[in-house]
Amino acid sequence: MDAVTYPQKAVEAFLAGSMIAVRTPSDNSLAKEFKVTWTPTLVTLDWNGHEHHRTVGFLTAEELVPSLMLGSAKVYADLELFDKAFGALGKLLSAYPASDAAPEAMFVRGVCGYKSTHNPAPLKEAYEQLQKTYPQSEWTKRAYPYRLL
Amino acid sequence: MGTIAWETDLKQALAKAQAEQKPVLVDFFNPG
Repeated sequence: MDAVTYPQKAVEAFLAGSMIAVRTPSDNSLAKEFKVTWTPTLVTLDWNGHEHHRTVGFLTAEELVPSLMLGSAKVYADLELFDKAFGALGKLLSAYPASDAAPEAMFVRGVCGYKSTHNPAPLKEAYEQLQKTYPQSEWTKRAYPYRLL
Repeated sequence: MGTIAWETDLKQALAKAQAEQKPVLVDFFNPG
């Protein structure tokens, strides 16, 4: 990550504008608290210190940035700051549609649509978009029941 | 390691995150 991913301008720019970045060794008490057993482990927290997203293993810049966007969106979604969640998810899906994070982002966008309106239509739309765009994704399978809404 | 402004203290980072209403990334790295 240090040699390949972090020096990339897209990573630097995203972190500078959108997150507070912390580095800590994997052999300290904080790592034990978060049950870290392998590196690199990247955890996204809200400002209360609660975890919302985690990845283990190397990521290229082209995968790290959308993964961090997804983590940020999940923070905002869980805190019911839906406008911010939709903003992060929209940027991810428009800028990184081929990333590994994109199908989950589409799923989370549907969930946010439902939770912010109490209307099930966004869940069905999310399934239909997933089926069309990412038919082999695990997130398409997870959204499968929404086709009946 | 580029120009990422890494924090090393989580409590300080959380306070900064609260003030700026931003999520926090924690990178647990192998100290070697």
